[in-house]
Amino acid sequence: MKVAVAGKGGAGKTTIAGTLARVMADRGHRVVAIDDDSNPNLALTVGVDTASAARLPGIPRDMLEERPDAEGVKRLELAVPAEDFIDRFGVPVHDRLTLLVMGQPNHGGSG
Amino acid sequence: MRGVLGGLVAGTSRVAIVDLEAGLEHLSRGTARHVETLLIVGEPYFKSLETASRSFALAKDLGIASVRMVANKVRTPRDEETVREFAARHALPLAAVVPYDEAVVAADERGMALIEYEPAAPSVAAIRRLAEQLVPGA
Repeated sequence: MKVAVAGKGGAGKTTIAGTLARVMADRGHRVVAIDDDSNPNLALTVGVDTASAARLPGIPRDMLEERPDAEGVKRLELAVPAEDFIDRFGVPVHDRLTLLVMGQPNHGGSG
Repeated sequence: MRGVLGGLVAGTSRVAIVDLEAGLEHLSRGTARHVETLLIVGEPYFKSLETASRSFALAKDLGIASVRMVANKVRTPRDEETVREFAARHALPLAAVVPYDEAVVAADERGMALIEYEPAAPSVAAIRRLAEQLVPGA
């Protein structure tokens, strides 16, 4: 099941997404909660404390690569299988639940 | 990062719950293709419902098969009636009605997850019913 949650700021989108992720994990599913908001705060609602959330790393650049899409526009894509990416970059929150914060890639020394 | 999100959602066998950017303008067709259900969260007043309705049309244009509304912060029977009438009039499937809940505010003030602060909160109960609807029986 792949669910996306949208809604205006303040409507409670993030509380619902985070709680739904926790509930799904409680029901025995392996779950990945993905924060794609540019003002990420899903961490809190899935149960990652604020200090740990503030220390979440940027996505290592070597896990991404630029590839042209069907229209020839270069787009960033995963350079590794999704499961490897989630295992390496995701933050384990709870039994069966992993958090991923998309944010910006970490360019490191490459500028 | 759009291609990355689509690749993640498509490539994992896990249940994926994505907290999207507030507007749907950023959602690409490539990512939308991998989303089975889009939940649009709205509040029970006219402007919020109108916004939800516009998002609903946009999501349908993006080709998402199941687009459903979640009414949040519903305080009174009248609120619920407003939401149900609006949903019926605009043919928006209503996935859940989540009550207004002081526990959400209190959890937020304490910097805690709602489900940890008060696992039996009415809002959490509504979200459990939503999960049961999305993936029955697990």
